[in-house]
Parts: sequence; C-alpha cells; structure tokens
Amino acid sequence: MSLSEAEIARYARQLILPAYGPVTQEHLRAARVHVVGAGEVAGPALLYLAAAGVGTLFVDDALDVAAEDPAAWLYSADQLGTPRLLAALEALRAATSLSRPRAHATAADPTAVLVCASSGGLARTAAERARVAGVPHVVATAGGDGGEVIAVPPGAPCFACAARTGSGAPVRPGVAAAVGALGAVELLLILSGASQGPGGRRIELVSGRPCSSATARVPGCACGQGRSA
Amino acid sequence: MVHGGGREGSSRTLDIAGAVDLRQLACPMTWVRTRLALDRIAPGEVLEVVLLAGEPLENVPRTAEQEGHRVALREARPEKGEGAWRVLLVKGTGTEGGVMLP
Amino acid sequence: MATALAERSALVIGAGGLGGPALLALVGAGVGRVTLLDDDSVETSNLNRQPLFGEADIGQRKAVAAALRLRRMFPSARVEALDRRFDESSAAELVSAADVVVDGSDNFATKFLANDVAVQAGKPLVHGGVLRYTAQILTVLPGKTGCLRCLFEAPPPPVAVPTCAEAGVLGPLAGFAGSIMGAEAVRILSGLRGAYEGLLLVYEARTARSRVVPVRMRPGCSACAIAPRPAGAAPGEAARAVPERAV
Repeated sequence: MSLSEAEIARYARQLILPAYGPVTQEHLRAARVHVVGAGEVAGPALLYLAAAGVGTLFVDDALDVAAEDPAAWLYSADQLGTPRLLAALEALRAATSLSRPRAHATAADPTAVLVCASSGGLARTAAERARVAGVPHVVATAGGDGGEVIAVPPGAPCFACAARTGSGAPVRPGVAAAVGALGAVELLLILSGASQGPGGRRIELVSGRPCSSATARVPGCACGQGRSA
Repeated sequence: MVHGGGREGSSRTLDIAGAVDLRQLACPMTWVRTRLALDRIAPGEVLEVVLLAGEPLENVPRTAEQEGHRVALREARPEKGEGAWRVLLVKGTGTEGGVMLP
Repeated sequence: MATALAERSALVIGAGGLGGPALLALVGAGVGRVTLLDDDSVETSNLNRQPLFGEADIGQRKAVAAALRLRRMFPSARVEALDRRFDESSAAELVSAADVVVDGSDNFATKFLANDVAVQAGKPLVHGGVLRYTAQILTVLPGKTGCLRCLFEAPPPPVAVPTCAEAGVLGPLAGFAGSIMGAEAVRILSGLRGAYEGLLLVYEARTARSRVVPVRMRPGCSACAIAPRPAGAAPGEAARAVPERAV
C-alpha cells in the first residue's frame, strides 16, 4: 500500500535521505518490532522507532514507574506507581497516531527485536530468544558513563559472542538516552537496508565517545552452526 | 527498462518523463515532492519542475545537483503565473551529494 | 554532585532534534536553571526527530510546548523558555547569564554567532550538528581549545551546503547527538573533564565509523584573538574549572 499524504508529510525528512525512499518507509510500516524493556535506554528508542514510522511496536516491561523514570522520556512525575507498560503505551500513542504500540504477548510475531535490558542476564536471554527465532536484533545496554550497542543482523555473530561485561554503575545523565537512540539507529538501518560496512557490529560508548568494531564469532558458538566459517 | 532519450538535443527535443508543480508547496515539501518524482523516473530521463522564484528556485535545482542530477534548463515562464519558472532535471545515476563539515 | 548542579545554569539554543534531547538530559540531571530558545512552531515533519513534541503540539510554538512538556515531566525543574531567535541583539546577555551554552541550532549563521559570543564571554560551548547519516560534536573551552572559527574562518558559503529544509535527517541519530551534547554539558557543569574538549567527533551512522579531529587554537582566529582570558587562569589552564557565575 503506497504512502498516504499524511505519511509523506510526516516522514518528509526521512524520505529524502540517500538510499531511502517510499518503499523503505513502507517496509518500516510493515515491520513489527519487539522492544524489551521500557526504562531509560528503551524509552527514547521506543519514541524514535514510533516517530520513524515502525508500524507495530510490542512494548515489554513489568515494572512500575519509579521516581527516576522520567529520565526515560515517556513518563511524568504524576504517574509514579502506575505500570510502565501502560504509561509507555499512552505516551507513544500521544507522540504519533501513525504507529501502533501494543503490549507484548508470547503470541506476538516480531520481525525484529530491540533489547534494552538493564541487566546482562535479561539481555542475554532476550537476545538468544531472538537469535533462535531467526529474527534480526539489536541489544543496547548502558552503565556509568558509557554503554554498548550490538547489532545482530541475520547470520551475524550473536550477542553472547560480542558482549562485554558492563560497568553496572548508575548511568550518567544523557548517556542512557544516547545508547537507546543509537540502538534505534542500528535497528532502523537494519530494517531499511541502509546499513553499510560489517553487518554484525558493536558500538561502544566510552566516556561519551563512540567506538565501533565488527563482531566476531567465538569458535564453537551455537550461532555458527550450519554456517561455513 | 528503456531509458528515456533525454541525453542529446536541446531543451526543445527533450522527452519529459515526469512533471511536478511545486508552486503551492512550502519547504521542505518542495524538495520532498521533487525527490519522490525523481524516484519514479529512470536515470537519464527528464523531470519537469514548475516552481516559484525566490527560495524554491534557489534551492531545489541546487539540491538536485548536489544529489547527482543535472539541471538541463532553467527559464522564467511568466505566462504560467507570477514568479513561475520551469526547470528541467535530468536524473543522475544515484550519487550522493551534500557537504558536511569535515 | 547533585547540589553543585542545582547551582548551575545552562542555555540551550533550539528545542528540536538536538536541543530536545539535550534539554531532557540537563533538566533530568537537576541543573538549577535551564533556559531554552526557539522561535519556531511545531510542524508535522519535525515529529520524526523532536522528542519534546507530539501530534497534539502541531501548530504550537516550540518554546511554549517544550517548557510545558519539561515541567510536566520534572515539576521541580526551573525551565525558562524564550520564544525568540538567538541573534546579535540577545546573544551576549543570554550567554553571560549561563554557565554552559548548548547549541542545538540548525543553521550555520546561528552556530557561528553562538561560537563567537561564547568565546568572547569565556563560556564553554557544546556544539553539535546532524545531517543525513552523520553527526558531529565539539566542545569549545574558550582560551584553552580551538573554536569553530579555528576550524573554519567563516561559515561555508550558502551554495556549498544544503539548507536544512532540503536535507534529510535520520531521527534517532539526532537523538544520539543531542543526548551526547546534554551529557557533555552536564559533565562540564559538574566540574568533570568534557569528552569533546577541543575534539571534533564526526560519526557516520551507516558504517558506524567515528573520526576524531583535534581542534586547537589557531593563530589568527578572529574569534579567539579578541576573547578575554578567563579571570585568574594561566594560559592553557583556562576553563578546566567551572567558570564563576556572572552576578
């Protein structure tokens, strides 16, 4: 289905990007992205994915809004104690009516996953689930004055191969949002086909500066089974 | 795909593969519409653009050149309306333009 | 550290793709007073990259909508919103009242004005820009690092650069750059070393490649040449400490 006038006006600034056109925007509209987490890394990512025109977003979070959560961009001080899932859905609908945010359920059938978990264990589990389902995914984690974003397009080394242990320290202002936004960039680049260079890559933010490298498969990892070296 | 015969000849013999009228539009939709129209024709084909003097005339052809297309013609056409200009763009082969700070 | 921030102030130019995320970082961090300037209205094509605004804000003045959103999210924050342009008539006074300037503007004339006025006033400036798939960030510490004019004597001629209206932007890339700018401003206000002091980062998103270009003071730079040395500083030590607040 071709783009409506409203979509052309809304996505004007993307439509004129190099290597991006109406067909790309239609692909985004058909995409179904499962975002794991709705905290300070995921919040900005959810907003940008919705704003970019991702057709369906599955929001997946079990916590309540806490005092530090307005840093996640989606929540207001008057929502303390309410489930983040509901507040996030409300905020995303207010941001744009051209994207459909839904509560994630096990029957959801995403075409891509963005994992923004606060703990390494949750990230690993969610990433592995996406890998086994054969779905491209991006994992974004933040800690202290930095973080990492790992892109796993089809066939790339998995998250477990690429991840390094995080600092675990409380995240500095602005850093979580930067990591979440970068995660959204990587996911959009995968969905739009505009990514260049190594498909599987890790972008590390160290003291606020990005540094990227291609990811490499750990010999013997399950993610390499069935592929030639 | 047959490439249009827009390469040789003067403006009088160029085959117009597409046309767009930007006079009712404001920035950024002027370039957006032009770009979408260019996307629909093949490299080498010609897009006819009618636009207003002033900011659209200064910016749209220049942006087209930066994006790898060629401005074959730029002429005032007052009989179409006040401030109306006609620009013919020959679609390039998809190079990317733009200057960024180093 | 939180107490120190509560006594600091920041000036943010623009509340859109870069300024919006920077404001969210600064206000969320508890900076005592944040002043934002924007003289535009919210348009539908802004919404792919400007997180302070939603569909209901289309047609509203950005300064007004931005302040409302920030105050709703952070009720105890002191946000001052000015619905006007950053230009010669207002720049010096606004910059002198701030401890750091964050430039989220979208045109070179404003960027160079912010640079010149910040250098003149001896205030740290966090400069940023995003165009298509590329983002750049630089922190200018007057008297210590180079400035925008050390890099280029004058803004690029209009014909060399696509107007912002003609250029595409990948939405979350603006969010990345603006958030980094906000994080950098908070670092500086906290008395920490900035990550971009005298270092221009150019980040290309499709390849995820970074280039870092040192920006040193250039002899003959017209902005640095007439800047006063910050009070009490030895050459080369100038702006490491948090600048004294103008009274």
